[in-house]
Amino acid sequence: MAAPQPESKFIELKPFSDEMIVSMGPQHPSTHGVLRLELKLDGEIVRDAIPHIGYLHRCFEKHSENLNYQQIIPFTDRMDYIAAMNMNWGFCLAVEELLATDEKKFSGVPERGEYLRVLIGELNRIGSHLLSFGTYGMDLGAFTPFLYAFRDREKILLLFEKICGARLTYNYIRVGGVSRDTPPGFIDEVKEFIDYFEPQIDKYNALLTANRIFIERTAKVAVMDTEMAINYGVTGPNLRGAGLQWDLRRDEPYSIYDRFDFDVPVGKDIPELGVVAGDCWNRYKVRMDEMKQSIQIIRQILESGLPNGPIQAEMKAVRPPKGEIFSRSEAPRGELGFYIVSDGTPKPVRLKAKSPCFTALSALQELSRGLMVADIIAIIGSIDIVMGEVDR
Amino acid sequence: MRHYLSNIYLGVYTALVGMRITFKQLLQPSVTHQYPYDRSFEQKKNIREIPKGYRGKLHNRIEDCIGCKKCEMICPVDCITIATQKLPKGERLWDSMNVVHLKDRTEIVGNIEGAEKPAPNTAVTIQTRDNRTVAVASEEIANVVERKPVIFYLDQFDIDMSLCMYCGLCTEVCPTECLIMFDNLSDGIEYSTFDRTDLIYEFAKPEMYEQPTDESTEAEAAD
Ligand code: SF4
Ligand code: SF4
Repeated sequence: MAAPQPESKFIELKPFSDEMIVSMGPQHPSTHGVLRLELKLDGEIVRDAIPHIGYLHRCFEKHSENLNYQQIIPFTDRMDYIAAMNMNWGFCLAVEELLATDEKKFSGVPERGEYLRVLIGELNRIGSHLLSFGTYGMDLGAFTPFLYAFRDREKILLLFEKICGARLTYNYIRVGGVSRDTPPGFIDEVKEFIDYFEPQIDKYNALLTANRIFIERTAKVAVMDTEMAINYGVTGPNLRGAGLQWDLRRDEPYSIYDRFDFDVPVGKDIPELGVVAGDCWNRYKVRMDEMKQSIQIIRQILESGLPNGPIQAEMKAVRPPKGEIFSRSEAPRGELGFYIVSDGTPKPVRLKAKSPCFTALSALQELSRGLMVADIIAIIGSIDIVMGEVDR
Repeated sequence: MRHYLSNIYLGVYTALVGMRITFKQLLQPSVTHQYPYDRSFEQKKNIREIPKGYRGKLHNRIEDCIGCKKCEMICPVDCITIATQKLPKGERLWDSMNVVHLKDRTEIVGNIEGAEKPAPNTAVTIQTRDNRTVAVASEEIANVVERKPVIFYLDQFDIDMSLCMYCGLCTEVCPTECLIMFDNLSDGIEYSTFDRTDLIYEFAKPEMYEQPTDESTEAEAAD
């Protein structure tokens, strides 16, 4: 059950107490962006932790009201810059759903476009989870996994660079399809990468996941049970780490995810390791397992082969009909939602992004009460937030 | 106590498992380049090649720009500034050049001699701007960007690369494909300067119009 929130936004200190207030951040190396935590400490024990966000606020939502739909896509890149393809995709899905309410305007994304989207989206999921794996290890003092993860993520970025021309801000998925077709040899390179990368995950598991020191730091730390996760609206790997099998790709398939066969890994109690569902270790482990599932999806695409045909639906201008839509998709960090109100002009009247990292961060206060200061780092790494998306 | 000792044992053991992996890695060649100093990767193309289609620095072949302002309108951060003067009605300066995209993903900028849409199974001659003649077979051609009449004087065509976010939308809408992004290392990426104002690139070349006319009407800003 969620604890009642304190009245004040700031921590109040009782006079003559042993407690003190420490400001962690705004630029702590382990805080994945610019985040400030206000900690109320009793010695080493955290009595309260309030995240102060907004350092990366760029007014994405308000700015979008002055841009047309095509121009908004590069700004979605900058929300979750680790998984920019999935951000593009989430936004385009919302606009497409809005367009589809008027059948004359939009007849669906062509097959090849859909396959490319899934291929790229899953590659980006691997890249994003790799970064989270690497930085989590580094947060907890293991430097080597970070280097390995970045080496392998680089291979994914190179593939993206080939297909869309940029390494981080892709602007690749467009309303109605994708912007460029595959360059020659791209599919072979994806296959080469997948073949290289699959055994690599087991190495990482031996390197970090099964490391006793790592387990000691993360097992039974900050247990978020299913009820608490749902109460906070936490989604994605954090929710699955708590033990609830919920994945939009499987449960409410969008795009062509219903054609693929994949598992939804969840967190489990493993008594031999001393971990319980919903602790930091399980949240981390779900990401490692999801990389394998993403590889499985990519393998299925490569086996069936990309269908031939156009990559982009033919449409003159993106001008959705009057109406509103809320659409969600499964980004690497959880359910990404876009709420768009349109008045029939090429610009949205209102745009709201529902960020998965924001909800995950909101659970931090309750998760961290009563733990040690060093555990805060373990929690932030395990809920895997990207401040660009929290602040937008 | 037993748990404590077994934990120590497991801690050492699992760390050694990890060490084995790192040790194996130690024997493999390094993947890191000391980039600005070590440029050997430029020779060893296989390691780090800037792929074709990379979105680097913008460049405008100003002779082919028809001043349609489509790029200015699409730019999400308004970093392109264009000022044009329209020619009197019915007049035009010249035509923009064809851009011939070949199937091997290279392109040739130049005018196709004869019909712009070459018939199949013919040799196509392309006259480039520096008066070279390139002959290609029409099977090799993927698509051709048609010539468009230039009916605007371009007084100003500035791109502020310090604002640009490299989204590439402007190059996609350009009807003559004169606005391009360099995809090589020296032009596309390595252009840092010490002064921010040096990043404002002025592409307009007034000297390319021999006799600019003052009577021409100010073009409406298409906004
Ligand atoms: S690439 Fe730069 S100049 Fe072109 S539209 Fe994007 S931001 Fe504007
Ligand atoms: S879109 Fe191309 S032709 Fe039109 S003004 Fe821009 S650079 Fe010139």
